[in-house]
Amino acid sequence: MKEEDDATLVRRCREGDRAAFEQLVVRYQKPVFNAALRLLRDPEDARDVSQTTFLKVFEHLGDYDPSFKFYSWIYRIAVNESLNALGARKPCEGLDGEEADAAPGPDRELEGRQTGRAIEEALMRIKPELRTVIVLRHFMHLSYQDMGDILLLPEKTVKSRLYNARQLLRDRLLQGGAI
Amino acid sequence: MADSERLALIHAEIDGELEGRQRAELARALLADPEVQALREDLRRVCAALDALEEVDPPQELSRSILDALPQSTPSRARSWWSGPRLRYAAVIAAVLAMGAILYETVESPRPAAGDVAGTMAAAGAPTTLDTAQLSSEVVSGRVSLYRDRAGLGLQFELVASAPVDVVVATSDGHTLRVNGLSVRDAPGGPPTTVPLPGLGRSGEAVEVTFLMAGREVGRATLWLPKDP
Repeated sequence: MKEEDDATLVRRCREGDRAAFEQLVVRYQKPVFNAALRLLRDPEDARDVSQTTFLKVFEHLGDYDPSFKFYSWIYRIAVNESLNALGARKPCEGLDGEEADAAPGPDRELEGRQTGRAIEEALMRIKPELRTVIVLRHFMHLSYQDMGDILLLPEKTVKSRLYNARQLLRDRLLQGGAI
Repeated sequence: MADSERLALIHAEIDGELEGRQRAELARALLADPEVQALREDLRRVCAALDALEEVDPPQELSRSILDALPQSTPSRARSWWSGPRLRYAAVIAAVLAMGAILYETVESPRPAAGDVAGTMAAAGAPTTLDTAQLSSEVVSGRVSLYRDRAGLGLQFELVASAPVDVVVATSDGHTLRVNGLSVRDAPGGPPTTVPLPGLGRSGEAVEVTFLMAGREVGRATLWLPKDP
C-alpha cells in the first residue's frame, strides 16, 4: 500500500480523521523522541516532550500553513518544547569553558560505545543553542536551509553555530582523550 | 588565508558542500600546514562519531499515550480574522504602528515608576496569564509570560541580565515585532516589564520570543495562545 504523504495526512486530520493523525504519530514519534533525548539526555523528559509536542501539533493543526514543510513545523515545536524543558531545569554547571566531569583518561581506549557516551556527555556540556544545531544536522540529517527554517535563523548563522559547536565538541573530546 | 576561512572550508567539506575552487583551496591549505591537517582529522572523527550514534526506539507505549491524551474535538482549520487581503494590510499597518510606539516607549520615554506600571495594568483590568516560559541561559534568566487583559495581549518580562536585552517576537503566521533595549534587572525582584502586543497573536497560535544581547541570540521561548472555546 502506498504511504500517504504528510500533506495528505494533515488534510485528513483537519477533516476529522484521527487515524490520519495516528499515522503522523507513528511516522514522527521516533525522530521527535530522539531529538528531545539528544537535547535533554533524559528518557523520561524526552517522553514528556514528545507527548507535549504531538498534543500541540494536534491542537494547532488548524494553524499550520501547508506551504511549509510539515516536518520543519513539528521539529520546530519539538525543539522549542525541549528548550523550554531545559530552561525549567536548574542551571547546570560546566557549560562551555568550564571543566567537564570526571574525564575518561588520555589513553584513547574509548571506542565504540564509549566514544558514543563521551560524545553524549560532551554534547550536554555545550550551550543548548549549539547542541540544537548538532542535533538537527547530525541526528535529524537536515539541510542548513531546513535548520534555518526551524530555528528562524539565516543559513549563515546556522553554519556559524554548527561550526562552533563542532569545535567545542572536538576540544572537549580531545581533553577527555576520546578522539 | 585566515584561520576562519580554513575552518569554514573544513566544515564545508565535512558537510559535502565544497565547490571545485574551494576544494583546491583546502587542498593547498592542507599541504601547507600540518595543523590544518590535524584539525581536519579531529573534526572528521567528531562528526563520524556523532553520525554513528544510534537512534533510540521511543518507549513502546508512547504513541498509545499520545493518542489517548488527544482531546475529543477535531483540529479545525483556523479562520483568521485577517485572512482577507485588506484586513491583512490593516494588521501589518497596526503592527508597524505598534512597533514604533513600543520602540518610542522603550527607548525614548522615561521609565515609569513601579507604581505607574501597576496602575496601568490595573486600569486595563486584571491580566490573565496564558502561558509562561522560564529562561536560564548564562547571561539572561527569569521568566516571560503571555497575558491577556482588557487592552489585549501582552508579554510580561521578569528578566535578570547584566545588560539590556533586545527581544524579537514572532507569531507562527510570520508577523514579527522587535523591542530594543528591554529593561532588565541585575538581580531577582522588582517590577516586571510589560510589552503590549496589539494586532499580534490569534487563538491557538504560537508566539516565539527570541532574546538578543549585542545582536547575539541569548535565549528563546515559545508561548502558546489557548484556542478560543
